[in-house]
Amino acid sequence: MNKTLNTSSAPHIPSRIKVQTVMLWVCLALVPATFAHLYYFGPGILIQLVLAAVSAYLFEWWCLKWRKQPIKPFITDLSALVTAWLFVLCISPIAPWYVAVVGMFFAIVVAKHLYGGLGNNIFNPAMVAFAVILIAFPQSMSLWLPPGGFMDVGAIGNQQGLTFIEQLNWIFTGHTTSHIDAITTATPLSAIQTGLQQSFSLSEIIENPIFGDFGGLGWEWIANWLFLGGAFLLYKRIITWHIPAAVLLTTIAAATPFYLFNNDVFMSPQQHVFSGGIMLAAFFIATDPTSGCSSFKGKIIFGAGVAILTVLIRNFGAFPDGVAFAVLLMNMSAPLIDRVTVPTPYGKKTKGD
Amino acid sequence: MVIEPLSHFHGGLVLRHHKKKSCEKETRSAGLPESLVIAIKSNRGAAPRLLVEIGDRVLKGQIIAKPEHIMGSYSHAPTSGEVIDISNLPSASPDAIPALCVTLKPDGKDQWSEPTRLKKPESRQEIIDQIRAAGIVGLGGAGFPTHIKYYQAPFSDSAGNKNSTIIINGAECEPYISCDERLMLDHPHEIIIGTQWLIKAADAADAIIAIEDNIGGVKKRLMAEIKKQEITNMTVVKVPTIYPTGGEKQLVKVLTGKEVPSDQTPYSLGVIMQNVATAKAVYDAIELHKPLIERVVTVTGDSVQDPQNYLTLIGTPFSHLLALAHCSDSVDKLIIGGPMMGYAMPNAEIGIEKTTNCLLALPEDCTKPEIAPMPCIRCGDCVKVCPQELLPQQLLWYINGNDQTNDLEKARDHHVFDCIECGACSWVCPSHINLVDFYRFAKSELVYLDTKKAKSEQAQKRFEDREARLERIKAERQAKRRSKTSKLTDKSSAKVEISAVLARIKKQTEESADE
Ligand code: SF4
Ligand code: SF4
Repeated sequence: MNKTLNTSSAPHIPSRIKVQTVMLWVCLALVPATFAHLYYFGPGILIQLVLAAVSAYLFEWWCLKWRKQPIKPFITDLSALVTAWLFVLCISPIAPWYVAVVGMFFAIVVAKHLYGGLGNNIFNPAMVAFAVILIAFPQSMSLWLPPGGFMDVGAIGNQQGLTFIEQLNWIFTGHTTSHIDAITTATPLSAIQTGLQQSFSLSEIIENPIFGDFGGLGWEWIANWLFLGGAFLLYKRIITWHIPAAVLLTTIAAATPFYLFNNDVFMSPQQHVFSGGIMLAAFFIATDPTSGCSSFKGKIIFGAGVAILTVLIRNFGAFPDGVAFAVLLMNMSAPLIDRVTVPTPYGKKTKGD
Repeated sequence: MVIEPLSHFHGGLVLRHHKKKSCEKETRSAGLPESLVIAIKSNRGAAPRLLVEIGDRVLKGQIIAKPEHIMGSYSHAPTSGEVIDISNLPSASPDAIPALCVTLKPDGKDQWSEPTRLKKPESRQEIIDQIRAAGIVGLGGAGFPTHIKYYQAPFSDSAGNKNSTIIINGAECEPYISCDERLMLDHPHEIIIGTQWLIKAADAADAIIAIEDNIGGVKKRLMAEIKKQEITNMTVVKVPTIYPTGGEKQLVKVLTGKEVPSDQTPYSLGVIMQNVATAKAVYDAIELHKPLIERVVTVTGDSVQDPQNYLTLIGTPFSHLLALAHCSDSVDKLIIGGPMMGYAMPNAEIGIEKTTNCLLALPEDCTKPEIAPMPCIRCGDCVKVCPQELLPQQLLWYINGNDQTNDLEKARDHHVFDCIECGACSWVCPSHINLVDFYRFAKSELVYLDTKKAKSEQAQKRFEDREARLERIKAERQAKRRSKTSKLTDKSSAKVEISAVLARIKKQTEESADE
């Protein structure tokens, strides 16, 4: 017992959970929704996921080198994979290849590393990427496949769908042997927007088969599975209930008055909830802790803000879905919200009592 | 005073206990080591006066240091023998901070000094005096001299109703430590009687003995003893085993539903909290006339082959206890206290203090983090567990200098001084950041800056006072001069004044001419 003892300070037993583990759970939670995506929109999502993940990691590696950061701990922390995955769930599965590459450039290089890397980003990297794409390549984002069966995506009626090879070909070369223009379609949200611009009423627009029971065919199921994944994260205590509850309930609360006021131009609350990115935002995007708020009160304000802004942008804005912009706007306000929502600690609530 | 159902505090952790191995065996005596290293602690800067010199022979129970100040406490010789050294040595305190230590070589006779046969105390003051004379301090870890807590008592309202409560803290929430549980199993009688004396000392209404709900058999034994003594104002309450439920503030919240105001003690709620071992020490002092010269210490940890509780003389070197419990060479950290809040010691030749409840020897595979610290990802896990309802990640952000101004004041605004350093946040952090370290740093730095500022303000004030004084004197002089000249401006008085001056001059010239 003559050796030098370690005198580092308490606690002396280390924590058992790692950043990696947290990220891994998030990825796992995204699996069901990804399968649903695969089922309704075909293998495009997988191609995009590989594309985005590979470019994300190349950029990550490059940035770490350039910032002279240790490569191994950061490249293995899985945070880049989460970013890529979230981004891919937002874009069209048949977007051209450069969409993912450009997206990841903005996510990893600009939004993450220029702000100081892991944990220091002010904006949610996936949403920065998505917003850039929405602005830079709007037409590629409006080009979606109509939901169909797994093997013949895009098959509606007796129309033939796209095979895996055809999708691959389209993504990388922009050419395909068959009738891509004939089968691509708008997302439900942009269908509504174009429809409204052409003065159709909402009830006429949603007769289109791409609208399912309450959100959009396929979309509503992806939303359901995202919900399930979110529930899993809640169960694993990776996230708390504050943000999802705030986002979803506020979306309903904010959409209802518009709907009641004029249901010909404003979507119903359930359509808001089950279409576009709200479900993803509620459980996976607004819950991103780095770019969000710290206190529970702050989280609720943050979530509510995302929901209100999304509904407003959807109802009045120039873009069909406003989730990305809503999140970015709230990211900007987060430090301010944090400043005014510092919780009162133990023993300071009852001062003088 | 205890509320039903019990309240709870925010956050907290469920930890593995690791207590069973050391607790299931009866407490053994650690015997006489070759030498005792007794640290003479001063409380709040009031150093006690040493009553022995090198070469002196002392008897067991003899006073070796006497406080000069009301905050100080007595030290007694734990056994008979010879004082062979008096010097500054590392002590069993955080950072092993050096303290004045008396090294005693036992003569093996263990011969008591002539006990001062005190009569049973009758008044509150007599109880408090006897507690003080026995050198009793809080044995839970803080080491606050026990008698001080009772000086402010009693609490009674205008109608003379007693309305204060003694809480006996038997909720040792840190993993591994089992000395309090063992003490409650072994000495229920002594603890209950000791508690009764404490009730009298505070003139309190009642007492609650709080124990964790995962320890079996203790409640029964204590309740049986309370019944046997026909005591009606004492209860035993089981509290949920959530770390840090044994923390003073957290336990008060759980039992009373009230929060101790930030910069005050539980006393402000009419609560005096005392550790079970302290209650036992009070029994020893009053019933057996025995000063505090020994305590139960848990010797445990994954490097220790026979975890065990030992009745240990104060000053026993750690090495003696570790040898008894067969500690292997694998030890990487030797910790005083528990794994969450304890402090690591640099070597094993330091002596047990009154506050040393546990010696924890952990090998490297228990202490080594799996990964190096990563940046904070702001996951908020630390917020979820913080029992003080702070925002640990925000504190880190400001202390780490992420804020442009590098301003520790922001940490103060985020209540860093309310952090109880429980380590819960560090323990859950997926980025493996030792958050508590940052808070300790920020606190000491802020205290340092404050004193510096106070000093420079004082200096500034002194300077300004001096300036003001000089200014005033100057002003007075000027005023005088002005009053003289103003006399001159007034015509009639000017005449008088001038003629007076002329007369004086004339007189002076005449006088000088005369000479
Ligand atoms: S637990 Fe660690 S990583 Fe998570 S917010 Fe707190 S300090 Fe940051
Ligand atoms: S160490 Fe301080 S900040 Fe961390 S959990 Fe405990 S009280 Fe909260």
